[in-house]
Amino acid sequence: MTIQECYAALEGDYQEVLGRLYSDALVQKFVLKFLSDQSFQLLESSLKEENYEDAFRAAHTLKGVSQNLSFTKLYHSSHEITEALRTKNYDQAHQLLATVAADYAQTAAAIKAYQGG
Amino acid sequence: MVPKREQRYTILVADDSEMNRSILRSMLEESYDIIEAEDGLQAVAILQQREQEISLVLLDIVMPNLDGFGVLSTMNKYNWIDSVPVIMISAESTHAFIERAYDMGVTDYISRPFDMMVVRRRVINTIMLYAKQRRLAAMVNEQIYQKEKVNNLMISILSHIVEFRNEESGLHVMHIQTMTEILLKSLMRKTDRYKLDRETINLISNASTLHDVGKICIPSEILNKPGRFTDEEFAIMKGHSQMGADMMKGVPFQDEPLVKYAYEICRWHHERYDGRGYPDGLKGEDIPISAQVVSLADVYDALTSARVYKPAHSHEKALSMILNGECGAFQPLLLECLVESSDIVQREMAVDTVVRSDQRAAENTAVEVAQYEELSTTDRTLRILEQERVIHQFFKELSQDILFEYTTTPPMLALSAQGVRRLGLEAATVDPYHNKQVQEMVDLDRLAELSQLLQSTTPEAPVVEFDFHIRLEGRSVPIHITSRAMWSSEDPPQYTGAIGKIDLCQEKEAIS
Repeated sequence: MTIQECYAALEGDYQEVLGRLYSDALVQKFVLKFLSDQSFQLLESSLKEENYEDAFRAAHTLKGVSQNLSFTKLYHSSHEITEALRTKNYDQAHQLLATVAADYAQTAAAIKAYQGG
Repeated sequence: MVPKREQRYTILVADDSEMNRSILRSMLEESYDIIEAEDGLQAVAILQQREQEISLVLLDIVMPNLDGFGVLSTMNKYNWIDSVPVIMISAESTHAFIERAYDMGVTDYISRPFDMMVVRRRVINTIMLYAKQRRLAAMVNEQIYQKEKVNNLMISILSHIVEFRNEESGLHVMHIQTMTEILLKSLMRKTDRYKLDRETINLISNASTLHDVGKICIPSEILNKPGRFTDEEFAIMKGHSQMGADMMKGVPFQDEPLVKYAYEICRWHHERYDGRGYPDGLKGEDIPISAQVVSLADVYDALTSARVYKPAHSHEKALSMILNGECGAFQPLLLECLVESSDIVQREMAVDTVVRSDQRAAENTAVEVAQYEELSTTDRTLRILEQERVIHQFFKELSQDILFEYTTTPPMLALSAQGVRRLGLEAATVDPYHNKQVQEMVDLDRLAELSQLLQSTTPEAPVVEFDFHIRLEGRSVPIHITSRAMWSSEDPPQYTGAIGKIDLCQEKEAIS
């Protein structure tokens, strides 16, 4: 799998990220690094514990990271949940988690497939 | 010789996401040294230790422990914001957010997603802008310092010429200047009757060195006559005050305050508060305060210096002679100043006067620079403060004592090298109350007691002594803490932390 195919699979925008980071090697490096980012896990567990402050920060970080990497789909869902948490719409946040989880799984799966060659 | 490395600027990246820090690092590390902070408290701790070497902060806003606004408000509180520029990085793009950040002193704003070109450009632009400002500030500072130094030097040369002819050492004028300054500062704290401020005090103490300039008109066979004066000779001697005053009237700079004070001092430094002095027999407050103070300084120095015809009197002896009215009559308030300044007078008069005059130039530079509004913001970088810091740091490293500094906002504990070695704690511990190592070492209740004790002190009496036990290498060790609460200069003063020394009592016990 090429990096372009990986971006297609996770519904991101490869041209956009390359335009900002200027280097294929850098994009690849950070895409692989995304797997070790714990923001999603933290978001999930904090929401479960109803620790909304941590949940907000985790969602916010996830949003920032996916935005930086042009993971467009994940960026949109993490953006929505961040706003829900910011405006203290906790019911909505709990509902949105399913979408974020699906998008995260899709993204992680694409990167793992890319990693595997 | 080691070739001089091209200067590399250091950037502090504060962002809670490792991913984001690492993206920024890879964009910038080719040209800059990068320090990373995982949250606001870490960022503040790093700034506290290394503010001088950091050229730029890239600051995320949403962070745990202390957020970006918290970091900004700390940077404002300690004036770091004046010398360290901040670029805010955040996906937050709401207007109110950005406006608040600008209000708190951020220079620029980078929004996510990061674009390498934009990041690099903004970083270099900001660093260059500040570097230029710092260089300019340093240049102006240097010039003012030189000017002040040359001024003092010229006055001092002139005064020494007068002294030389009087066959005195030149120390006398230096002493008069020092005494005048001490007395006026004390007087300024007691009363606002004389409208004294730092600049006026500075001018009067400079002018004081000219008090005997009229003596150059006295024939040297009278001036340096070894025995007693005849009445006629004494009358001629007394003429020196009027002659000095005439000289000051003759110089072309009549609008200069320095000349005005020099005139007052030359003419009236032998007047007495009871009206029995010369040349005019002025009484009480008719004698300008400049002349009153120099007169007292003159008498004190004459008493405490050795002369051909008398040994030097001790400070106590001189004080009692002056208070008993054996050497003139002075305003009671001024005598009060002299008595209350006893410690500082004795200390300062013992200091090498050359060192003192250089110190005075440095102090005045700091004050003068502070008057340039544009530059006052960078006065943290001024030579004198930097020197103080180096000295403080040096002694702290050298000291065999366990020394500590604690600040309340942000809560941080800093230890001297000995403290680190003996207690096994970090040199800087952020939020020590919640630090595991600290918790294992001390009883938090006792620590809270100490904190209470410090906070119930006053700026006038800020020192407390405290005994308790700590756990060290599995043993309970008695310690004695001598600590000084730090109060801000605000009104009312705020408790900002404490400094102090920790004595482990185990050595003593082992001996007994």
